[in-house]
Amino acid sequence: MVGEALSTAGLALAVVAVMIGGTYVAAVLDVLFTRLTMRVAVRPLAAAALPLRRAAQLALQRRTLTERPDAGTWALAPAVLAALAAVSLAVVPLTGTLIPVEADTGIVVFAAAMALVVVAVYLQGWSPNSPLSLVAAYRFVAEGLSYEIPFAVVLIGTALPARSLALVPIVTSQEHLWNVIRQPLGLPVYLITVLALSFWGPLALPEGQDVAGGTSLELSGVPRLLWRVAQLNVLVAVSAMGAAVFLGGWLGPWLPGGVWMALKTLFLLALLVASRQFFARVRTESFVVVAWTVLTPLALVDVFLAGIQAMVAAR
Amino acid sequence: MIADAVFWILAVLAVFSAWRVFRTDSMVRAAYWLLVSFVGVGLIMVMLKAEFLGVILILMMGGEMTIMAVFMVMFMMNPAGLNPMIMVHQNRAAMAAGFGSFALLSAVGLFARFPASVVAPTARATAELGTELLGDSMLVFQTAGVTLLAAMIGAVALVSVRGRFGPADEGSDAPEQQPAADADVDSSAPPSSTGPSSSAASSPTPPAPSTTPEVTEGAMPADHSHEGA
Amino acid sequence: MSQQAIFVVAAAIFGIGVYGALSQQSFVMIMMGLELMLNGAMLAAAMVWAMVAGGTPKGQLLVVVLMTVMAVEAALGFALVTGIYRVRKADITEKLKRLKG
Repeated sequence: MVGEALSTAGLALAVVAVMIGGTYVAAVLDVLFTRLTMRVAVRPLAAAALPLRRAAQLALQRRTLTERPDAGTWALAPAVLAALAAVSLAVVPLTGTLIPVEADTGIVVFAAAMALVVVAVYLQGWSPNSPLSLVAAYRFVAEGLSYEIPFAVVLIGTALPARSLALVPIVTSQEHLWNVIRQPLGLPVYLITVLALSFWGPLALPEGQDVAGGTSLELSGVPRLLWRVAQLNVLVAVSAMGAAVFLGGWLGPWLPGGVWMALKTLFLLALLVASRQFFARVRTESFVVVAWTVLTPLALVDVFLAGIQAMVAAR
Repeated sequence: MIADAVFWILAVLAVFSAWRVFRTDSMVRAAYWLLVSFVGVGLIMVMLKAEFLGVILILMMGGEMTIMAVFMVMFMMNPAGLNPMIMVHQNRAAMAAGFGSFALLSAVGLFARFPASVVAPTARATAELGTELLGDSMLVFQTAGVTLLAAMIGAVALVSVRGRFGPADEGSDAPEQQPAADADVDSSAPPSSTGPSSSAASSPTPPAPSTTPEVTEGAMPADHSHEGA
Repeated sequence: MSQQAIFVVAAAIFGIGVYGALSQQSFVMIMMGLELMLNGAMLAAAMVWAMVAGGTPKGQLLVVVLMTVMAVEAALGFALVTGIYRVRKADITEKLKRLKG
């Protein structure tokens, strides 16, 4: 009984450690990529300290308020977003033996948690009682309906060869060939949709300049800090899941499994973070059109091909 | 022991939030209280080992409640959804019906003898459901799929640009603040015998006397109890 | 977590749904009442699957069918609300005295 409780606490601690560590790494990567594209000299120590200094600045900043906000919901929104990231990170197997939550339906839990991100962002935009922020919230809802479908469909594609919705069989099914090669359409569609989902970089549509910052318009001080941290938490969670379902998770030669998992997660995280520097922000309506007319059919083709492969393999 | 405690917390959460749906003063809050209720029920389903069903319920409802909040704000006279507003009719009869069905159904649950055959702890419920859906019960599954397809086509046909209810852009008008003139007085009632006060009394349920009606601003018909929060 | 307890919880959710569906004026709020009723029904069905029927897969199928009903109700409900709003400018039941199109 005590041992069980201890191991549960240890696993929860592991999830929190991965989330916090990954968030810090993502923030540092963002600083590095910004410096590199601006061709400013990078000093490693300063780059490592900058996210912390910015966080301290935000934490000390005086908070501005709006007229008659829904204060409870406003405070809840970052917590909901961070909790969803934690839930989706908890189902990701970190190594072959270190599995925080071994759920039969791991990938569905992940999809459900990520579907609720729309709710968190909508509440963040709605609760300050501010027009532009509400406009941005509606924009994200419209966008959310269009990216959810390709996102969920490519995830289903990865579950097909494993013949299971649990994540450990999905990872072990990639023993001979990673899903990124077996299902070449999967990872690109996944990466685009998770950019939209974590409203980051080229797809930071609910925070666009044309709505004066949108859902983060009224944020300052500690709430702004929490919202940024929660957003990075989501980025970490989707990177870890992408590494597990497309890049073979902990599988790999020579190195121990945990290291492989960390490297793959770091690679995807760096890709996602760097996209902010290398792509311009797209317009909402063009992204919605692309999501429905390009990404959704591509995702369907992906799952169709995966089905044919599974059928041939079963023969 | 712990499972019992978790169950009761989730059950109280689900029932409390279901009750808040109709007692909160904003459309958006109502929609998200409903979502909380669904999440509570979904988690209870997970505890009952119906893991896939519980999770998929939460997945479905996350999207649907957001759409619902958008629709409410679109069609209600309360664009941002932050202002107080509760609109009910036949409150007492509805409450009686609600309590009646609750009493009846829980009486069935409490006094009927059901066989107690608990699902085996080792059962692989998710895999069994998958085999069932694509095996013996494939016809049911396919029928559900075709029904959904028909619903989609029907919904699109009802609201499409050239549908039977007129051009699609008509819906983008601002909602009318005043009710239609024929809405508040039943034209079939004999006009001479009833004054305005007795016409309110002849409606199914008069406004509950205990509530404090706000100034109606001429916006609400006489037989609605327009309660402040 | 007994049969009786879950039945009472499901009945409470169902009863609140009945109250909402009968008392609300807004079409969308009426739909919320209907969804709550289905929510209670699904909880009861899942309980019967897990505690009365001993986990036969057909029981889970019933919940899947109920979810389909819920999705159809939502899709057609929203379509009808939109259609009625276009024709009658009605968003509450009191503005709708006759149903003939």
